[in-house]
Amino acid sequence: MTGSDRPVVLIVEDEPDVAETYNLWLADEYEVRTAQSGDEGLAELDEGVDVVLLDRMMPGLSGDEVLARIRDRGLDCRVAMVTAVEPDFDILEMGFDAYLCKPIRSEQLHDTVENLLERSNYDDLLQEYYSLVEKQATLEATKNSAELADSEEYADLRDRVDGLQDDLSDTLGGIDDDEDFIATLRGLSDVEE
Amino acid sequence: MYDLTDVLDFDELASVRPGSNILVSGPAMSGKEDLAMSVLADGAEAGQGSLVVTTGERGETVLEEFLDRAPGADESTVSVVDCRGDGSRRGEATAGGSYLYHVSSPGDLTGIGIGITECLEYLHNNGADDGRFALTSLSTMLTYTDRKTVFKFCHVLSSRFDSAGYLGLFTIDSSAHDDQTLQVIKQAFDGMIEIRESDGQREARVLGLAGQPTEWREF
Repeated sequence: MTGSDRPVVLIVEDEPDVAETYNLWLADEYEVRTAQSGDEGLAELDEGVDVVLLDRMMPGLSGDEVLARIRDRGLDCRVAMVTAVEPDFDILEMGFDAYLCKPIRSEQLHDTVENLLERSNYDDLLQEYYSLVEKQATLEATKNSAELADSEEYADLRDRVDGLQDDLSDTLGGIDDDEDFIATLRGLSDVEE
Repeated sequence: MYDLTDVLDFDELASVRPGSNILVSGPAMSGKEDLAMSVLADGAEAGQGSLVVTTGERGETVLEEFLDRAPGADESTVSVVDCRGDGSRRGEATAGGSYLYHVSSPGDLTGIGIGITECLEYLHNNGADDGRFALTSLSTMLTYTDRKTVFKFCHVLSSRFDSAGYLGLFTIDSSAHDDQTLQVIKQAFDGMIEIRESDGQREARVLGLAGQPTEWREF
């Protein structure tokens, strides 16, 4: 994250009044950036952005096109589509992480941003968990059981693996929601570090 | 609690906690898939839902063989996700009332996720609030994606079945991967059923579900 430790939300919205309303709602908790078009939004995007609120219907580049370019660039941000109509297709199949139907209420916007940040947190925990499991497996393959029993490094690793397991089951309610489930799986194949 | 002892007679398998995910590991042709299907069929006969994700056989074939194995099953609580890849993602109810979902490839994790979600919903709508899940096999998935991705995939699926209260079984061909891979994949599960074959006799043991590994036992 850039500058402050607060998560960064980028609002891409062609109507200035609407963008300003979202900004007012979010500015207390997040660092908010705004862009008035798809092109401007892409210019504002960098590694520091955590969540993008993307208006679907804009002059110039549409929300769908912006999303495609975000995914092409391999940026690790979450994208919520803001739309005027309830979509009649599977939004997750299109690669969005969430959608919001206008008019949006403040509480709803907060909930969505929070949920998307929690998903990012889950991904980070899962990546860390995997790294530790790899280390543990390497130690188990190279040392015998007496050596392992004596190894402080191994005991420490086991503790951290257990701790992360608990953290993972506390995050996103342990994936009990279908949207979280599918979005998390999509993240596995999309994001290669 | 799930009782697996009719299929595999170990005390450790008499009351398996809902949400448990078990790795079924053994060399090629040792009966892993047969065992997993028997566990699901046993549940289906007892009125539980069944969900199979297959990477190797036609979904229709899997469904047919499963119903032969579990003649007392309610067909509307049996579902299959076929990820061999014959075209795009699509789901449909079969003539017999089961649910079949097609995914474009074993590497299409999002598609498998959508298929699982649709199947779970279908089973739930038809009255199955608990059930058993089998994925055959992780070895095929490991040829499409790397170990890291498959590990994470297993973890996320396990979490999903944990909150659904299902019992999950995932098969892996232990002769097709190195030790490090098996050791890592194992960590995504609550326990393991290991299978081996010697002199034409199949043996199994249970690890990790309760206490020490069990002795090898014929089945």
